[in-house]
Amino acid sequence: MSFIDVKEEILSTRNLGKEFNDVWVLNDININLKKGEIHSIVGENGAGKSTFIKILSGVYAPSKGEIIINGQKVKFTDVKESEQMGIRTVHQEINLIPFFNVRENIFVGAELEKKVMVVSILDKKKSAEKAKEALDTLGVELDLNKYVHKLDTSMRRIVQICKVLVGKYEVIIFDEPTTTLGGNERRRLLEVIMNLKKQDAGIFFISHNIDEVLEISDRITVFRDGENMGTMLKKESTVNKIVSKMIGHKSYSDFKRKPVTGKDKIIFEVKDLNTEKLRNVNFKVNEGEVVGIAGIVGAGKTEIARAIFGIDAVESGEFYINGKRYKPKPGNSVKKGIALVPEERQEQGLVLNMDVKKNISLAYLDQLGSSNIIDFETEKNTAEKLIEYLKIKTTGPFQIVKYLSGGNQQKVVIGRWLSGDFSLGIFDEPTKGIDIKAKEDIYHQIDKLAHKGKGIIFISSFLPELINITDRIIVMKDGKIVAEFDPRQNTETEIMIAMLGGDNNG
Amino acid sequence: MDKERNKTISWSEVLRKYGTAIGTVIMFIIFSLVVDRFFTFRNLFMLLRQMSMLTIIACGFTFVMAAGGFDMSIGNVTGLVSMIFTIVLVSTSNFFLSVLLALLVGLSVGLINAMLVAYINVPDFIGTFAVGSVAYGIKMLLTKGNPIFIKNPPEIFTFIGQGYVGAIPFPVILMLAFLVISIFILHKTKLGRRIYAIGGNTVASVYAGINVKWYRMITFLVSGLSVSLAAIIMTSRLNSGQPLAGENFLLDVIAAVFLSTTMFGEGEPNAMGSFVGALIISMLNNGLTMLNVPYYFQYITKGMVVIAAVMLAVVMGQKLRVKF
Repeated sequence: MSFIDVKEEILSTRNLGKEFNDVWVLNDININLKKGEIHSIVGENGAGKSTFIKILSGVYAPSKGEIIINGQKVKFTDVKESEQMGIRTVHQEINLIPFFNVRENIFVGAELEKKVMVVSILDKKKSAEKAKEALDTLGVELDLNKYVHKLDTSMRRIVQICKVLVGKYEVIIFDEPTTTLGGNERRRLLEVIMNLKKQDAGIFFISHNIDEVLEISDRITVFRDGENMGTMLKKESTVNKIVSKMIGHKSYSDFKRKPVTGKDKIIFEVKDLNTEKLRNVNFKVNEGEVVGIAGIVGAGKTEIARAIFGIDAVESGEFYINGKRYKPKPGNSVKKGIALVPEERQEQGLVLNMDVKKNISLAYLDQLGSSNIIDFETEKNTAEKLIEYLKIKTTGPFQIVKYLSGGNQQKVVIGRWLSGDFSLGIFDEPTKGIDIKAKEDIYHQIDKLAHKGKGIIFISSFLPELINITDRIIVMKDGKIVAEFDPRQNTETEIMIAMLGGDNNG
Repeated sequence: MDKERNKTISWSEVLRKYGTAIGTVIMFIIFSLVVDRFFTFRNLFMLLRQMSMLTIIACGFTFVMAAGGFDMSIGNVTGLVSMIFTIVLVSTSNFFLSVLLALLVGLSVGLINAMLVAYINVPDFIGTFAVGSVAYGIKMLLTKGNPIFIKNPPEIFTFIGQGYVGAIPFPVILMLAFLVISIFILHKTKLGRRIYAIGGNTVASVYAGINVKWYRMITFLVSGLSVSLAAIIMTSRLNSGQPLAGENFLLDVIAAVFLSTTMFGEGEPNAMGSFVGALIISMLNNGLTMLNVPYYFQYITKGMVVIAAVMLAVVMGQKLRVKF
C-alpha cells in the first residue's frame, strides 16, 4: 500500500548461500532492494552480513543460489565484474592516498584523460567538474584541492563515496560507515546517505547502531546465524523487535559456571582511564570474579585490554594490581601479574614459526633458570604438562605452532600464561573462530582460574557466552562504560539494547 | 601415492637442510681440482684468515637480522673504526687505549643506529644507510682519504692480525671464539630467544611483555662490536689504516647471512650458517682471484650469489624478515 512497494526492484537474491568447510555461514538468503530505498541489514558478529556483502561485491562466489539484477540473472567472478554491473561498496576501511588531494583521490584508478597531440594526459578540468557534481549530489561543500590527510574521517568517507558516484552505480553497499565517527560527523554522513536516495540508487546499509538504522532505513532485515530472520518496514520496527530477532542462537554451548563465593579482595582497579579512544573508564575486578566486557565493534573493548596491559598510550588514569599502583607497560604488567590473551592470536599472540614450547615459555622466560641460560629441560617439561592439561592437539612440544588448528593455537597462548602465576587474566575474544569443543575447554579453564582466586576480564562481542561465564557484564559504547548488568538477573535483550545504544529506548 | 609424496618431501627436506652445505663442498672440490695450489695448507689457512673478519661481522649482522632488522652501515663503519684505531695508536702508542676507543666507536655507531631504527622508527635501510654515509664522510675527513702507516707497531698489535697460536692464525681463533659465543647466545640464552621472537613476530613479542626496543638495540650494539673487532684485525693485517678497506664487506656480509637462512633448516638467520656463508663467499673471492678472474667479474658473481640465496629462501617458502 505504501509507495515504497511500487518502486522498481533493482536487485534480488534467491536462496543465496555460502559454505566454508561444510559450514553454511550464509544460507538461503532471499532479499530484495528497490530503487531509491535504504535497506538496512543488522545482525550480530558472525550473523553473515559481511559474507553477504562479499558475495554481492564479487569477493566470494556463492556456493548456491542466484543474484538477479534488473531482472537478469548475473554471475561475477571478481570484484571488477561486480562493479561493472553497478554494485559498489563503500568499505569500512578508508583506503585513500593521504598526500593526494580530494580530486586526485576520487579518480585514482579511473583517471580521466584527454589527448594532447599524441599523448594522453590527465584531464584536470573535466575531473574537477565531475568531482564537483558528485559533491553537489551529496550536498557537501569541499575544496577539491585539499589534501586528504587534512580531512576528518567523515569527509574522507565522503571522498570515498564520491569515488563511487563518478562511476557507474546502481546498488551502493555501506559497510559500517559511521563507526569511529563522532556525533556531528556521524550526523553529516547520515544526511549524505539520505541524499543519495534521490539518485535512484538502491542502498544496502550495514550498521551496528540501531538508532541510526531506525532513523534512515526504509526497510530493515535481520540476519542471524547466516539466515534471514525477516524483513520489516521501518514503521513496524522498534529496537525491541529488532533485537529479539537478532538473539537466540541455534547452536551454543550449555556451559554455565558457578560463581566463586566468599572472596571479595580487590585484585585489580582502574580509575579515570582516558586514552585516545577511552573516556573516564572506572572499574574493579575482585578475586575469583569474572568480569565481562560487552559492546559492539569499535566500542572500545579491546582498547581497555590494551591500556591495562600497556600497549596503548594512556592520557590519564591510575592502575592498581593487588592494591599496588603500577605503570602499564607490557614488561612491567607481566611482572606485576597481568596476563593478556590478545584478540588476534596469529598476529598478536603467537610467533608462528616457533614451536609449541618456545611459544609457551615466551612471557615467563625469566622463570626458566636463574641465569641468562635457558633451562631447556624445564621448558620442555612445562610444555608437555600444559599440552596434556589443556588437551592441546599437537605432535608435541617441538611442533611449529603454525601447523596447529585455531583452537589449539589459542590454547597455546593460554598455556603461555598458565606457565606462570598471574593475578589478573584478560581474555580478549578468546573463543573467536574456534570450534565448540575448544570453546568449552576454554570456558572450563576460565572457571578454574576464577576458583583459584584469579581475577578475570572476559571481553567478547558474543553475548550468550558472556552471560554464561561472567559474574558481571560491563557494557561499552563509544569508549565509555554505559551500563553494568548482572547476567543472572538481566536478559540478553536488555544488554543488547544497551550495547546497540537504544538511547531513545525505541 | 602417499608413499610417493613422503619420498619427495624427505628429498626436499634433505635439500632444504643441507642443500647449501652440499653446494659448498662441491664448490670446494671444483676449486681444488681447477685451481693450482688451492688445496694447500698454506692457502687454506690464508683462506681462513681472510674470512675471519667477514665471519665476525656476519655473526654480528646475524643478531640484527634475527630480530628482523638490517644494518647497512657495516662496510663504512669498518673503515672508520680502522682509521680512528690507527690514528690513536700512532699518536699515543698506547695499544689498549686504541683498542678501547675502537670498540667504543663501533658501539657508539651501533647505539646511534639503534636509536634511529628501534626508538625513532626510521626504516632500517634508510637509517643505517645514512649512518654509514656519515661514517664514510668522517673517515675521509680524518685523513683526506690517505692511508696511515704504522711504524714500529707494538708486538701485540701485530700479533692480532698476523700472529699464530701453534699453527693456527690468531684471527682464526678470534673468529671461532666470536662464532661460538654468537651461537651460544642466539640459541641457548633468553636474550637469543627473545631476539628470535622479535624477528618472528614483533607484535606478539610486545604482547608477551618483551621490551622490543631494548632487545633490538642490543642487536645493533652486537653488530657495532663485531665491526670494531673486525676493523682491529684488518688494521693489524694491513699494518696501516686504509680508509677504503672494508668497503666490500657490506655485500659479502649480506650474502653470507642470507645464505645462512637457507641452511640447517631453520629458515632464519643463524650464526653457524653465516659462518658457512662467509666460507662460500671467501672461497669465491680466493678461488677466483687465484684464477686471475678480474675483480669486476667477482662482483658479478657475488651479486648473483646474493640473488640466488634470496631466491632460494623465497622459493623454499621462508618468510624473509627484512621489511623493505
